[in-house]
Amino acid sequence: MNATVEAAENRRVKIEVKDLTKSFGNLLVLDDISFNVAQGEFLSIVGPTGCGKTTFLNALSKLIPTTKGNIFIDGEEANPKKHNISFVFQEPTCMPWRTVRDNVAYGMEVKGFSKARLEERLRYILDLVGLTTTADLYPNQVSSSMEQRIAVARAFAVDPDLLLMDEPYGQLDVKLRYYLEDELVSLWKALKSTVIFVTHNIEEAVYVAERILVLSNKPTKIKAEVKVDLPRPRSLIDPKFVEIRKQVTELIRWW
Amino acid sequence: MSTTTTAASSIANEIQQEVMERKPFSIVAFLKNRWFLYAISLTAFFALWKYVDYTRVLGNGIAAPEKVVVAIYRLMIDTVAGKSLWGHTWASLNRILIGFAIASSIAVPLGILMALNRYVNAVVKPVFDLIKPMPPFAWISCAILWFGIDEPSKIFIIVVGTFVPCLLNSYMGIRLIEPQLYDVVRMLGGSRRDEILQVGFPAAFPAIFAGLQISLSIAWTCVLSAELVSARSGLGFIIIQGMQLARPDFVLAGMVVLAFWAWATTLIVTYLEKFLCPWKRETSLA
Ligand SMILES: Nc1ncnc2c1ncn2[C@@H]1O[C@H](COP(=O)(O)OP(=O)(O)OP(=O)(O)O)[C@@H](O)[C@H]1O
Ligand SMILES: [Mg+2]
Repeated sequence: MNATVEAAENRRVKIEVKDLTKSFGNLLVLDDISFNVAQGEFLSIVGPTGCGKTTFLNALSKLIPTTKGNIFIDGEEANPKKHNISFVFQEPTCMPWRTVRDNVAYGMEVKGFSKARLEERLRYILDLVGLTTTADLYPNQVSSSMEQRIAVARAFAVDPDLLLMDEPYGQLDVKLRYYLEDELVSLWKALKSTVIFVTHNIEEAVYVAERILVLSNKPTKIKAEVKVDLPRPRSLIDPKFVEIRKQVTELIRWW
Repeated sequence: MSTTTTAASSIANEIQQEVMERKPFSIVAFLKNRWFLYAISLTAFFALWKYVDYTRVLGNGIAAPEKVVVAIYRLMIDTVAGKSLWGHTWASLNRILIGFAIASSIAVPLGILMALNRYVNAVVKPVFDLIKPMPPFAWISCAILWFGIDEPSKIFIIVVGTFVPCLLNSYMGIRLIEPQLYDVVRMLGGSRRDEILQVGFPAAFPAIFAGLQISLSIAWTCVLSAELVSARSGLGFIIIQGMQLARPDFVLAGMVVLAFWAWATTLIVTYLEKFLCPWKRETSLA
């Protein structure tokens, strides 16, 4: 059905999450979670507030140690020093002392891109997300929705094996959110990254993702998996879209 | 791709512009004008000063403003204890620069190290907390006993006085960094060294600078205190000489010159910070 992207089942497995368990003291937050992500897949994860979505991404990106289980990228244990993992945090995290341009370039600097490649890619990414005109401003001179776009651009710029996004558009108004979701999808298509997108907005998940994992309440497990096999650009009032949205809503209302 | 760009840049229309509001001229607006009020305030101050001098309510303890100006001029040409006003100013400034340089070059790195390493913190903090509440001037007798009445004792007072704010501000500057900024480095695979160099230092920079600025004004207080106690040079010495010779115009001249240099050196640091931290939003510091 989707002409541009090959069906996920036929693609190579890129990310393997095996028996991922995380507890803080006695509080079991993530309970033995396993799943795969295909090369270039756009996976969305929805779950109730406080169920451990941020914890889950922190564990995947190795920012916090796991209690049990592991994550493999291309069959190797994930390691931020070796693999190219990129994370857009729930709150904007621009460096105030770097201009917009240097913020977007930061990831590539850490990853040791050559100067020529960095410059070329920087120009391409800034143009892609429409930050060229504001490139020389400092983050405190742009609105905070712009800061989140800078973080998204920085994350895509390093050409990540795995891009993690933690409700990046949670605080934005609806119009800008729709706009940025479209932008995100076109970035993903243009750059062919593998994306895990966390949200608690069901409509957003159905709009952007190829597949949705629904999480349960704590201790958190994967409760269901929903394929979103709709052509893009998607329409929010397409009956098929509404049907999938209702299906996911039902899954969440269950408990 | 070009269609995306145009749409995007129209949404990304974020260039900030300064807005100048022009109001029509009127008497009320003129009376409320900032500069006009400044002028009133200063005129009233000097008039009051002149009046106090004229009525002799303070006896011979005060000199009229114009006498002070003359005294400053006289001090610039003549010499007191072998030095003109420039020489005495340099004597004070020199002490401040040496003391300030010693204190900041030890306290800033130490503060940063304490914030980054809990063992260093655990060793240094108890002693520091013990010394911290001591007013710098309380050290003056010790300083004279240990270092005599020459330069080292004065410099010691300045070092002691400026050490505390330098250290505290660098420490807090590193400590108050958003942990998420470190996460940015870590998730991209940066090392601990990257965290410190690329996030720790630049993020703490404004706080460190604030510490330097506070230290500088404390340094002026310290140098004055030390010079009032015992000195053969410096602006404090001029003030004391004026007192002993019953010359209020010299006392006030010393005070005015001191205030000017304290203000000027702070201004230099402010501009240095603006130059080095252009990302900081303009904050008005009256
Ligand atoms: N460092 C920690 N120590 C102890 N408990 C923690 C820690 N971090 C998270 N938790 C707990 O883990 C649970 C999940 O937190 P998390 O922030 O991952 O939720 P979330 O799904 O991201 O929530 P939200 O939708 O509000 O972003 C919460 O109950 C929280 O109290
Ligand atoms: Mg969260």
